[in-house]
Amino acid sequence: MTTTLPPAGSAAPPVPFDPELGAALTAINEMLPPAFTADQIPLLRSGGPLMVITDEELQRDGKFTVAERTVPGLDGDPDISLLICTPTTVTGTLGCVYHTHGGGMIVGDNRMGVAEMLDWAEEFGLVVVSVEYRLAPETPHPGPVNDCYAGLVWTAEHADELGFDAGRLIVAGGSAGGGLAAALALMARDRGGPELTGQMLIYPMLDDRNDSASGLQMAGRGTWDRTANDTGWTALLGDARGGPDVSPYAAPARASDLSNLPPAFIDVGSAETFRDEDVAYANRIWLAGGQAELHVWPGCFHGFDSMAPQARLSQEAKSARVRWLHRLLDA
Amino acid sequence: MKDLAVRLAALDAEAGAALQVIAYFDSLVEARAGLQSIVRGAAVLSGCPARLEDDVRRLRIRVDPAGVSSLSPEPADPAWLRMPILADGTAALWLERPGPPGPVEAMILERATGAARGVLDRTRGRARAPDPASVELVLDGAADPELRRTAARGLGLPADRPVHAIALAGGAATVAAADAPVPAGRAGIGPPGSVLELPASWTAARTALRFTAEGTEEDPGPTVVHFAQLGALALLAELPAEPIPDVRALEHAGSGAPWLLSTLDAVADGVSLRAAATALRVHHSTLQDRIVHAEHLLGWNVREPQGRLRLQLALALRRLHRHR
Repeated sequence: MTTTLPPAGSAAPPVPFDPELGAALTAINEMLPPAFTADQIPLLRSGGPLMVITDEELQRDGKFTVAERTVPGLDGDPDISLLICTPTTVTGTLGCVYHTHGGGMIVGDNRMGVAEMLDWAEEFGLVVVSVEYRLAPETPHPGPVNDCYAGLVWTAEHADELGFDAGRLIVAGGSAGGGLAAALALMARDRGGPELTGQMLIYPMLDDRNDSASGLQMAGRGTWDRTANDTGWTALLGDARGGPDVSPYAAPARASDLSNLPPAFIDVGSAETFRDEDVAYANRIWLAGGQAELHVWPGCFHGFDSMAPQARLSQEAKSARVRWLHRLLDA
Repeated sequence: MKDLAVRLAALDAEAGAALQVIAYFDSLVEARAGLQSIVRGAAVLSGCPARLEDDVRRLRIRVDPAGVSSLSPEPADPAWLRMPILADGTAALWLERPGPPGPVEAMILERATGAARGVLDRTRGRARAPDPASVELVLDGAADPELRRTAARGLGLPADRPVHAIALAGGAATVAAADAPVPAGRAGIGPPGSVLELPASWTAARTALRFTAEGTEEDPGPTVVHFAQLGALALLAELPAEPIPDVRALEHAGSGAPWLLSTLDAVADGVSLRAAATALRVHHSTLQDRIVHAEHLLGWNVREPQGRLRLQLALALRRLHRHR
């Protein structure tokens, strides 16, 4: 049973899309509508916008070795698969980016979003580890985030074997993956490990309450609107969604304490559902005396840089992430 | 209808893509996107680099298919797909690959230039008027060539396409790319050539201007004359300023009847008497009457080939003498 959302009738007018991205949306929405409901999950999983990424593409002409390792789940959970891409042409000490893929908690695999990780890996000398976590609704919370945490712990413990300096380990993810990365940072803090150098939260999905003004005003527009968001959160939390007992490891916006977290990079579009919750998360990190860098990209819809990579703002958003990584990782 | 069906079927595979191109640029226009976005759209949708050049604003934009802006030191290859953005030929868009364009590329060119035209029309008003001192310099054959080239660049003249001088009524001069549309009003157009050949083009343009007319009933004739099209007629301009009997006959005939000069001009110019009648918007028989009357006043038959040539020369000489 889904709880009903408040009506959108009195919402503020929508934020206009950037001209280039607005034009691209016409074609994008043909494949990926802004709103969808639980019955459409199988359709979304069956392909279309989510393309299959081959080992060859990941290897990038021999620049990376690609391997898959099976590691134990948390506390007797099923084993999980880690995709591990190691740069072959970089000299010096390697770091590691532990990647949690996006897809609203309901779709996707650990190859989604890895291309950008590989770009960073080439620039900074990083091992890329991408975790295949179980998806909702088949696996509700805490299964997915526990899978991610188990993989993170294993990765940190095997730093030597994987060939990276355990003191240079960051978590990164986009959308649902951004929410998972934020949750990993909270869990790592609360459970005493592993030590994280930074958290890269790309338009993260943080708040199951799904009642923000930005969600209301952008209803029915762009990609991943508040209806789709409700679908994703309900798949993960069932009836508990929006209620009083939701764990911060499911919805990081619910965390009461955002102090002592690794430096955060948060970006989001001004024309998407997640604008308000992502801005609020950055603000609360600062209020707790922490470090965060926030970018709100004007007129951008959710996932803009991966769906329209050639647009000027997409290029700028990707560059901004790299510049932060330079400041974080360069000695 | 069958032909049309066959052509549509051939396009059908790309019909979807063409529609998407239309929708994309329509969206950009609606959102008042700038030139960079438009050129980027052309590059990304076509899969090859796209460039826009505006000679008046001295604007160069180039974007590769990944959406990255990168100017190239190489000038546009004439073999590339090119479409002018503005009717005056001073701005154009290229897709950097040789033609002929496929249907999708043709659509991209059309829609992108349309979108760019809107932007330039909106913003072009800010462009500077041509600097008179620079115009004078490029038309001066005695001036240093390097200075003349610099002045030409400052005027926005293309370095890689022909240019020409234009003589306007009242002694004014201007210079432009040879493929630019001609200005309104009376103009003599010099032959096309390089920037350094502009002084010679200017001399010729002034001669050509003398062969123009106001295009009125009193002064019928072409308002724009290209020197290159005059041929041997240009020699007439070198004749001394003596009264010529045929010209006096024309003047005399014209003073009597207001319609006579424009009628004779239409007869001299028309491919047939029927065409002349259409141009004058009179009935064929009315024209016949008028011609008989004119021939009586002039003293020669204007319908025969030699008489027609004599009339054409007399009209040209009349214009020359009016516009010394």
